[in-house]
Amino acid sequence: MTRSFARRPVLAVLTWIALAAVLVWTLWPIVLMIFTSFKPGNEIFAIPPTLTPKHWTFDNYTNVFTQSSMPHALVNSIIVGLLVAAATLVFCFSAGYALARFKFKGARSVALFILVGQLVPLSVLLLPLYKMVNKLQLLDTTIGLAFVHLTITVPLVTWMIRNQIAAIPISLEEAAEIDGGSRFDAVSYVTLPIAAPGLAAAGMFAFLQSWHEFLFASVFATSESARTAPVALTEFATEYHVDWGSTMAASVVLTVPVVIVFIALQRYLIGGLTSGAVKG
Amino acid sequence: MSTTDTVRRTSRPGSRPAGRPGTGAARRGIALMLPAAILMAVLTVVPVIAVLQRAFSDTEAFSRLFDAPNFGRIMLNTLVWTLVSVVGAVLIGYAAALLLRSPYLRLTGAWRGLFMIPWIIPGVVGATVWRWSLSSDYGLVNHWLIQANVIQHPIAWLSNPDVVLYAVAMIQIWTTAPFVMLMVSAALTGIPAERYEAARLDGASGWQIFAYIVLPAIRSTTWIAVLTLVTWALNSFTIIWVMTSGGPAGASTILPIQLYQAFQRGDQSLVSAIAVLQLAICAVFVAIYARAMRSDLEELS
Repeated sequence: MTRSFARRPVLAVLTWIALAAVLVWTLWPIVLMIFTSFKPGNEIFAIPPTLTPKHWTFDNYTNVFTQSSMPHALVNSIIVGLLVAAATLVFCFSAGYALARFKFKGARSVALFILVGQLVPLSVLLLPLYKMVNKLQLLDTTIGLAFVHLTITVPLVTWMIRNQIAAIPISLEEAAEIDGGSRFDAVSYVTLPIAAPGLAAAGMFAFLQSWHEFLFASVFATSESARTAPVALTEFATEYHVDWGSTMAASVVLTVPVVIVFIALQRYLIGGLTSGAVKG
Repeated sequence: MSTTDTVRRTSRPGSRPAGRPGTGAARRGIALMLPAAILMAVLTVVPVIAVLQRAFSDTEAFSRLFDAPNFGRIMLNTLVWTLVSVVGAVLIGYAAALLLRSPYLRLTGAWRGLFMIPWIIPGVVGATVWRWSLSSDYGLVNHWLIQANVIQHPIAWLSNPDVVLYAVAMIQIWTTAPFVMLMVSAALTGIPAERYEAARLDGASGWQIFAYIVLPAIRSTTWIAVLTLVTWALNSFTIIWVMTSGGPAGASTILPIQLYQAFQRGDQSLVSAIAVLQLAICAVFVAIYARAMRSDLEELS
């Protein structure tokens, strides 16, 4: 933290040891997951247990993609996630734009209301939302699940988009209007293109929230036709037997897209999240 | 279908030309906010009212909840789980954030990205992998601890009632500590370099800089991070459900788990009673959270 320490080799060594400790704590379950997914069945239950496979095999992955309900569940997850991302962007761009551009009475209360929505425990909403979705005859459909997932995404994404738009100078829109365009033209030809990368990140964020979600998914989409990947993952474990090889392979399949998206959008996601939580 | 259609249709104003700024800004602003506000009302306010109505029309459920022999245990579990997981995540998150500020480190961005992984992977995946690695016979955790002579016999992490709650809290820490690190890192970056230099010119020690410059600068961030962590812990479901389903014999059952079990049994009045209890606890934290966020919202009014 300070230059005056820079000549102390002991501190340098300690720093790297601490880094190694945090890395081990953070990553070893991930490493275990990857290695186990490549192990043949007889090695998984070997005693003593080992980290790395002796014989590498793709059998677990073949099993996941040919023998299990996982492919269908992945498709369902993608459908639900895309529906959630699209609907979230429509609702939140509208609200976020209003919060960033219009100063009016009651804006604060409405903003607080939308934000506080994310603090209501999902389990509290479980039964009434179940009845609501049931009445709409959307139980066990991807649309019904996407609908309830908006509870999670709308509050945060409204805030993310509000901050992105507030960062774009309003003078750009005014310039477009002086040139003869309407406010709508100004938004669609000036604000939207500038905000596009941030909006894409917000959409990916909504997609990921839906991709992760387990509680609602396990209640609102129980049958194979609408079941999403996180729920399907737990199906590998029957009461007395867990197919750990396939479970780990499926876990890797579930994780890889998330990590890729995260690395690609790290800057936007971190910026959006911390700006929502740290300062306005 | 009808509700989503209505909501979709009302979202149209969002794409309508809004005219010049200054005239009727309030009406346009409200019109643009309305779709999201109505949606959130349908998804949160309406259900909350329904829960309250259900619970208070059938108050017998409350006595069933409070008089049940396991009620004290569940409340204690919820408290211990929340305390352990929040304190652990804050300590590890702070340590990691401060570590990443060290002048000896290279590639800070890469390390930060790696530290984030437990937070960005799906909760189900994290819980599943840990369940496997904590297995008492085939798990690597026990194997390594025995090899390192830390323990003599394998620990039944997930089936010993005295241990299980701490074991699942450890996974919650593993998952949420990166969030603390991220928040604290962002706040640390916001401290202007001149402040450090001024303190050093005045002869401040490393510890004094930490206590009088770093800590005050990240106090409000810490506060918000702790509130967020507490809410997550109180409402958390996935990790415990996937790892233990609240067992063995209810030793890792917290309120949301109990609610889910009642839901599975179709015991609607008990579900509503537990939901009201959760709401009451949650309301306290919402009030504090709203207070903390108020300064941010000030600029909107």
